Amino acid sequence: MSNTLRPYLNAVRATLTASLTLENFSSQVVERHNKPEVEAHTSPEVLLHPLVVSRNESERVLIEPSVNSIRISIAIKQADEIEKILCHKFTRFMMMRAEGFVILRRKPLPGYDISFLITNFHSESMLKHKLVDFIIQFMEDVDKEISEMKLSLNARARIVAESYLSTFA
Amino acid sequence: MSRQAPLVIDNGTGYTKMGFAGNSEPSFVFPTVIATHQSNSAGSSNSAPTTGRAPPPIAGKPSHLASKRGIEDLDFFIGDEAVANSKTYSLHYPIRHGQIENWDHMERFWEQSIFKYLRAEPEDHYVLLTEPPLNPPENRENTAEIMFESFNVQGLYIAVQAVLALAASWTSSKVNERTLTGVVIDSGDGVTHTIPVAEGYVIGSSIKHIPIAGRDITYFVQQLLRDRGESQQIPPEDQLRVAEKIKEDYTYVCQDIVKEFKKYDADPYKYFARFSGEHSVTGRKYDLDVGYERFLAPEIFFNPEIYSSDFLTPLPEVVDTVIQTSPIDVRRGLYKNIVLSGGSTMFKDFGKRLQRDVKAIVDGRIAGSETRSGSHIKSTGVEVNVISHKRQRYAVWYGGSLMASTPEFFNVSHSRENYQEYGPSLVRRFSVFGSAS
Amino acid sequence: MRLFGQRFRRELAIFGMSLIRSFALIQPSGRAAKSPSTRLIQASDKREEKGSKMILLESHSVIINDVLTDRFEKPSRADIQFVDYDNVRFHLSTPSSKTQLLLSMSIQCWPDLVKYGARDHLQHEYAGYLLDEANTEPEYNVSLLIDLDKLPESPEAKLDLISSLAHLKSTAMSSPFISAFNEQSSLQASYKEPAGAQLADQAPAEAKGDLKIVKYREEEAIYIQASHDRVTVIFSTVFKEETDRVYGRVFLQEFVDARRLQSLQNAPQVRYSNREPPLEIRHLPGLKNGEDWGYVTFVLSPRHFANPAQALATINRIQLFRDYLHYHIKCSKAYMHSRMRYRVAEFLKVLNRAKPEVASEKKTASGRTFRTR
Repeated sequence: MSNTLRPYLNAVRATLTASLTLENFSSQVVERHNKPEVEAHTSPEVLLHPLVVSRNESERVLIEPSVNSIRISIAIKQADEIEKILCHKFTRFMMMRAEGFVILRRKPLPGYDISFLITNFHSESMLKHKLVDFIIQFMEDVDKEISEMKLSLNARARIVAESYLSTFA
Repeated sequence: MSRQAPLVIDNGTGYTKMGFAGNSEPSFVFPTVIATHQSNSAGSSNSAPTTGRAPPPIAGKPSHLASKRGIEDLDFFIGDEAVANSKTYSLHYPIRHGQIENWDHMERFWEQSIFKYLRAEPEDHYVLLTEPPLNPPENRENTAEIMFESFNVQGLYIAVQAVLALAASWTSSKVNERTLTGVVIDSGDGVTHTIPVAEGYVIGSSIKHIPIAGRDITYFVQQLLRDRGESQQIPPEDQLRVAEKIKEDYTYVCQDIVKEFKKYDADPYKYFARFSGEHSVTGRKYDLDVGYERFLAPEIFFNPEIYSSDFLTPLPEVVDTVIQTSPIDVRRGLYKNIVLSGGSTMFKDFGKRLQRDVKAIVDGRIAGSETRSGSHIKSTGVEVNVISHKRQRYAVWYGGSLMASTPEFFNVSHSRENYQEYGPSLVRRFSVFGSAS
Repeated sequence: MRLFGQRFRRELAIFGMSLIRSFALIQPSGRAAKSPSTRLIQASDKREEKGSKMILLESHSVIINDVLTDRFEKPSRADIQFVDYDNVRFHLSTPSSKTQLLLSMSIQCWPDLVKYGARDHLQHEYAGYLLDEANTEPEYNVSLLIDLDKLPESPEAKLDLISSLAHLKSTAMSSPFISAFNEQSSLQASYKEPAGAQLADQAPAEAKGDLKIVKYREEEAIYIQASHDRVTVIFSTVFKEETDRVYGRVFLQEFVDARRLQSLQNAPQVRYSNREPPLEIRHLPGLKNGEDWGYVTFVLSPRHFANPAQALATINRIQLFRDYLHYHIKCSKAYMHSRMRYRVAEFLKVLNRAKPEVASEKKTASGRTFRTR
């Protein structure tokens, strides 16, 4: 299983590293403003080609670079109803605390579970390779966390059911 | 089908008061403490949440019933039971200085409060919670997240404690208009707050804290007993308990400390009281005299220099400063409505003395400005009212119970439907209600 | 013939009740012997439940227990309103004098319970305390009057009384179960072993007790039916939220699977059907079926109510099933929250590694640092 995960993550890492070349680029529409172009969509000439790195149908990453900002959207694996709800809960919980995660977008792009927005200010004040590390680590851990949560939910349910039924015996 | 009574839960630093709306007393009062089994986890509850916390227990796949792994997080006690189990469990205080510090513990504390003690299905109830003044909005959001997402409560209202204390004072016969403007003097075990409130909104910049409260009075009584040599009678391990008992049963506030001393010296038999106790272990009986501490103990609010060496401002002066630093247009309203709340304001005649002293300060200032104006301007005077009432001890809870039993409560609370529509930021605003309007 | 059956049944019912009643008197005194104070009893109760701590819910009301313990010692005024699970409201008051405690209960499914003999049952359990219908407090269904001047003498008897009063709700709720259990035994007695075992399965007119419906919540109900070898208890459940529904399904599936364990062979068989109501109640009008609805069936065999002690334990346990399920769904959500809090803190740590160290970090004397924003 992890033999397909490794190349997937490597591809994301390489793409991210390559596309994280941001510069301080002022808005061409509003004077003395600097807006993340990928969000503002006001000048099509500064947007680069978006790219999807996909492992399978459910797991993929959309990377949308532009001259001064880059948006990364991740679709997380959801095998069944339980994983879906847990994933939804988890990403929501995280986005509630987006102030702490400076690069986290408060809403994911439609079709994805979670989105990050890195602007040139972030890449200037933070170490670029560490930012990439963070995204990769997040992708790795979130899968693990969700499957662990699912396991523990099942285990709890089992104990709860057994404790209840054992009182009848 | 009538609506189920809302739950009113007042989580304080020291004690949690909870019960159902419409009652005059909380059904449960116990320490806000949780006893958990993991000795080291979340021990750093007072430091930043990011620093070394043990991960929550990972659930394994238990093969049979005997191993209860995976459900360790249900192995805990709260309140009195937590204290009783402190030998085998480690105690945690999820609330520090009025604010929730450890959300994991608080969530479980609520879980057990609601299910085990109140025996209510939160899905069927509205909930009223309290918060200290100047609670950060993030804390409210976290609270709402827990209440709505974990417990699926029908609706939630988070009220500021001081405002509820004001509402509780409406029961007093002295109050003839229901206003939410006033100064709340809230004195519990640890610290005393003076909080000005204007029309339901706390004037945050003028809040003052006084580091003298119930615990200090107990220590002071103990010290007085020791000084007079009475404490030889008391077994050492009971000293604090006896001092507390004397504080609760025998003390009162005098109107003039010098006269009171004379009165006692002239006729000690009339005024000295006898306290008889019993050794908690051996059962040996003992008696002791309760003398000047009867009126000296609460006196530390009015003359702090007799107890403390670093805090020397008397309470009436603090109250005056608080009002004087508030906006000028509400000052009259604040003087008119000084409300007491909390166990340490229960001393006999406490309100009377406070009213007299504040009045003296105010009158002095008015007289001063009249002289300075060359007696050309006459003041109409300022009304000073200190309100004490029967529900003072659990005033905050009682105010909550009062508010939650009005039909209006359901309109001002945020409902689950609204939460699902707007998300947690909904609770950043609550409309004030219950005022005369 | 039919008439005879009914009479027989009634006699059996009375017999069963008196058995249970005598048990109720025995059981708490057994606990009382262990320790003098109720608080300790609660604690020791918990220990006995083989360290299960807060896994199981208790069936008595803590408030009644605490308040009565206090008032029995020193009578004082009271006017307390409180609730229990499933839309049960209590009112404890002293309307006339300090020593006359009036405990009233309003229970949503009272009309259903009355049909199954709740009043007689309560009359049996609380003889001497229960007020008749005319004197019941308005807006409530049952009122008990406790005269503090006429309390039993011995402390054990007092504790018994407190404990039985604290179980008021579960006692009231138990009447349909008891009558179903009695029905089962009469059915079993009149049941004639058919010639072949296979025939029994096909026999279309299998003798069945009447279906008892207890609408104990606004939307949810308990269905109880006795037949000659079992009593079937069906809960209809509804989940108000998507998360609850998903969690609830996981839990219910485990209830079904748990019985495969060797140690739980004696537990009642559990079936769970999502959306579709089970066969036993499918003919009833007004049953809802949809994504949010589920039906849980417990098949109690006679050994679960073989003696009154077991019957009482079974009844107390099973009527808390819904609360138990929802309680644990909520606990799981709380647990997930604490996991997520931890994980989010971990992620933050990783992200903060990306921030270069600021060399000139100012510290105060006590070692605190300033944060720049």
